[in-house]
Amino acid sequence: MTHLTIDQLVALREPGLEPGDQAARAHLDDCAACRDELDRLHQRVARLRALPALRPARDRWPTIQAQLADERRIYRRQQLRRIGFAGLAAAASVVLAVSVGGVNGRVEAAAGTEITRAMERSRALEEAIDFYNPGARVLDGRTARVAEGIEDQIAVLDRELELLDARPDRSRQTRQLQLWRERVGLLDALVDVHVTRASNVGL
Amino acid sequence: MDSFLLADARSVVAQAKAGDPAGFEALYRAFESPVYNLCRRICRTAEDAEDVLQETFLEVCRSIGQFREDGSLWGWIRTIAASKALMRLRRNKYRETDELHDDVVGRLREDHHLRMDLEAALERLPEVSRAVVWLHDVEGYTHEEIAGMMGKTTSFSKSQLARAHGRLRRWLGEEAVA
Repeated sequence: MTHLTIDQLVALREPGLEPGDQAARAHLDDCAACRDELDRLHQRVARLRALPALRPARDRWPTIQAQLADERRIYRRQQLRRIGFAGLAAAASVVLAVSVGGVNGRVEAAAGTEITRAMERSRALEEAIDFYNPGARVLDGRTARVAEGIEDQIAVLDRELELLDARPDRSRQTRQLQLWRERVGLLDALVDVHVTRASNVGL
Repeated sequence: MDSFLLADARSVVAQAKAGDPAGFEALYRAFESPVYNLCRRICRTAEDAEDVLQETFLEVCRSIGQFREDGSLWGWIRTIAASKALMRLRRNKYRETDELHDDVVGRLREDHHLRMDLEAALERLPEVSRAVVWLHDVEGYTHEEIAGMMGKTTSFSKSQLARAHGRLRRWLGEEAVA
């Protein structure tokens, strides 16, 4: 009698019926040796499933967390730039539009000029931060937390600025100016954090 | 499995989707062990498995927004982990043919009358065979799914599984005395 091959025995565990499975099953009914072999296969699989779980020797979370924080920082930077340029263009268009208006127009033009100034200051501060290249430097835990806190606040401001950009009414200007001023203040603080860190390490 | 590993999976996923670092860490802590175990069973070394563990959770945190909550969270994470572990194998140029490997193990058995335990026998399987055995017999993937992840045919997956069991049977001294 020819016994079942390991291929046939393994295939018998699969759901459904493949060509040849019927004959193999019929063989099993008559062959105790093949039935034992199939039992051993089932037992081996059960033992595989019961192997103890292996655990990593080191905690990888701090590394993952640091990498995610870096990625978030880079993303925010890109967002800042995108909003900065879009906002600058919007403010310039407001200034141009109201320059042909009356007293109200002149007031709005003044606000527009203020916004443009705040944006330019923002950009200059971002360039200053880029100079310190914080993404590529190791920050101590406290400095990193402070920097991250400030970046979080900037991200919230940017989100609001983005939403304001989508609003058509002119009353948004006052709020825009306020947000851009806050943004300049936060960026100033962020520059201070990086300057302090750089001077501590003798850069 | 999800509720076994993470009782409040729904709220943790919502937290992670909102970008909350505490949500990301809760996901990591809940699934670190099963992900590592899967990676370690597939990868050649513990270092490779740890690297894949890290890559898996970076991907989980980046893509959690795409996770559909009507599906299994563990199933989703497990597929990311398995795909990355298999990618690592491909990158490391795994052995698909393993006659040499068989020879070495055969000599060891003859020379030292070595009878391996299951853990050691599994470890000695060629990487691809071991991956197929683990994914099919332990994790419950079908041959079609394994073939899809490996970029191979279902016949390839089936034949790897049969060959692996042939070896395990031999190495464990389970061959029937005819």
